[in-house]
Amino acid sequence: MAIVKLDQLGKTYGKVVAVSDVNMTIGDGEFMVLLGPSGCGKSTTLRMIAGLENITEGELSIDGQRMNAVPAKNRDIAMVFQSYALYPHMSVRDNLGFGLKRRQTDKAVVRKRVDEVAASIGLTEYLDRKPHALSGGQRQRVALGRAIVRDPKVFLFDEPLSNLDAALRVSTRAELVRLHRELKATMIYVTHDQVEAMTMGDRVCIMNNGKVAQIGSPMEVYLNPASTFVASFLGNPPMNLVPATTGEGVVESGSGRIAQNGFQPGRKLVLGLRPEDLCPTDKVEDAVVSGRVTSLESLGAETLVHIDTGGTKPVILRGGRNIPAQLDQTLHLTCDPAMARYFDAETGVAIIPGEQQ
Amino acid sequence: MAAQTRTRFSPAGLRMAALMLFIALYTAYSAGPFVWVASMSLRTTSEIAANPYALPWPLHFDKFASAWLDSNYDTYFFNSVVIVLSAVALLTVIGGMAAHCFARYTFRFKGLLYFLIFSTIIFPPQVTVIGLFQIMVEYGLYNNRLGLVLVYVSIQLPVTIYILEAFFARIPKDLFEAARMDGYSEWAIFWKISLPVALPAISTTVILNTILLWNEFLYAVVLITEDDKRTLPLGVLRFLGDQLEDVGMIATGLMIAIVPVVLIYVFFSERLIQGMTAGAVK
Ligand SMILES: Nc1ncnc2c1ncn2[C@@H]1O[C@H](COP(=O)(O)OP(=O)(O)O)[C@@H](O)[C@H]1O
Ligand SMILES: [Mg+2]
Repeated sequence: MAIVKLDQLGKTYGKVVAVSDVNMTIGDGEFMVLLGPSGCGKSTTLRMIAGLENITEGELSIDGQRMNAVPAKNRDIAMVFQSYALYPHMSVRDNLGFGLKRRQTDKAVVRKRVDEVAASIGLTEYLDRKPHALSGGQRQRVALGRAIVRDPKVFLFDEPLSNLDAALRVSTRAELVRLHRELKATMIYVTHDQVEAMTMGDRVCIMNNGKVAQIGSPMEVYLNPASTFVASFLGNPPMNLVPATTGEGVVESGSGRIAQNGFQPGRKLVLGLRPEDLCPTDKVEDAVVSGRVTSLESLGAETLVHIDTGGTKPVILRGGRNIPAQLDQTLHLTCDPAMARYFDAETGVAIIPGEQQ
Repeated sequence: MAAQTRTRFSPAGLRMAALMLFIALYTAYSAGPFVWVASMSLRTTSEIAANPYALPWPLHFDKFASAWLDSNYDTYFFNSVVIVLSAVALLTVIGGMAAHCFARYTFRFKGLLYFLIFSTIIFPPQVTVIGLFQIMVEYGLYNNRLGLVLVYVSIQLPVTIYILEAFFARIPKDLFEAARMDGYSEWAIFWKISLPVALPAISTTVILNTILLWNEFLYAVVLITEDDKRTLPLGVLRFLGDQLEDVGMIATGLMIAIVPVVLIYVFFSERLIQGMTAGAVK
């Protein structure tokens, strides 16, 4: 059990800045997800916490103790690697017990603990096999078990599910959540998959270009993205971002408008509309955007309607299975003003109407 | 009729026959001298003088016993075992550690160091042996089994490092990082991860070094002159007098020296080939 604190953490490789100014405190027993596109510095951040990468700026502390200079082997942190990194020359039993043996010399205790953990994650019958004789899913569980056996202060995961097939990924996701609830351990989980982030994290830290873009609960970051980057990274399809100008009590999107008080007229900004918050309407005067339907994608449970509003990107509407829309038809879409989001046209930072900035 | 012609002289059949002929000739060519020496080892010198190529009959197995008992071969054998085993053990540990470092760490002058170690193999032993002789005398390592062990380690080290480094470099680095997370020091990781995972490559170098050093003659003959410190390949010197060469006993001595190597090769050749061609570790 541990509180992990990252204070202005940064990493440079020569002149390349991989990570900079990362600030966050991961609470005791919290499941924190680091989410972001490939190359944004998630693994580097995780590896600095692990001690596998030295910290070039800032401070890392666990339970108030500075960790920058503590070698990985003394941090009492377990890590599950994307490649699993099972020791190929050892049986599953030895793989599971390897870390514990280092600290616990009583063989009987190690044996008992390994048996216990193997039983809890369904590995009992494979204990005598070597890793090469296991399936991908079983290997993944051994990697997981190896971390659990040690009962470490902190668990780190670096995209542990990305080598599994889709069905296994879903069930393992659920198992990890169950595990976290049982162990009540502090876990830090790196992924580029937003579904994993949304379903597993107590909080999500979204990273971009080596910096933290936003930290919050999954719903918080989904509903109130702090920037256009977060808005366009989360959601599938992501939030529609429409260039807009403010008027008297309204925001003009070019093909429609939405009622909104609190803005100085004549300001350029970006209007953000989640596809599921848009709704077709007959009343042209209510439309926040209007345009011609350019494509319809039926996904079974729902339909994605692409609408050309004259902008560079089509606006996408997520509707029900039976949405009354046809190709080439002109559609007017309305949106609850409470659900509309605004971003600065230049910086992309979220703006809240009424607050001066 | 066409079908018959094809079965009798099909191009595939002809090619097969040609191949078999080639293999048979090549086997005779390469194994011939060995078979000849083997047959001479069972004949007396006077029998050989009468007809060098005759079949060995009667078989004089007693020649082996007399070489072993009367010609100091038990001592040579013991010396060979001690010297070769020590050299191979040192080579494996030192070469393994060096290869581990070259494969895993980046440090200053790594490329230069690697080049220097490896460049020593371009000098033929005939060139270095004279200088080496003087150095060995200087340091009291002449006529000294430890001295020979050290020389053996140094001549085989470059190729040992080379083979092991190539293998270590293919071990995924996640494995070492996982061991670090599991609480192990770099030293422990070398013994518990690097060496066991690289076992196929390790056994390749062990077998290769054992065979090469067991047969080594040049350094041994220059650096060891005392009879009691000689290794097996030097045993034949016993049968080379100023006037007389006991060809029959030389053949017997050679066979005693060769047999262990042949046995090692027969039992481990599969492993040797495996190690040399082993794919990356999953
Ligand atoms: N050893 C290294 N040397 C130089 N740059 C590196 C090194 N490792 C990572 N980087 C750079 O740091 C950035 C972040 O990498 P990484 O943390 O692996 O991203 P992620 O895990 O989010 O995909 C990338 O731009 C990458 O090119
Ligand atoms: Mg990564």
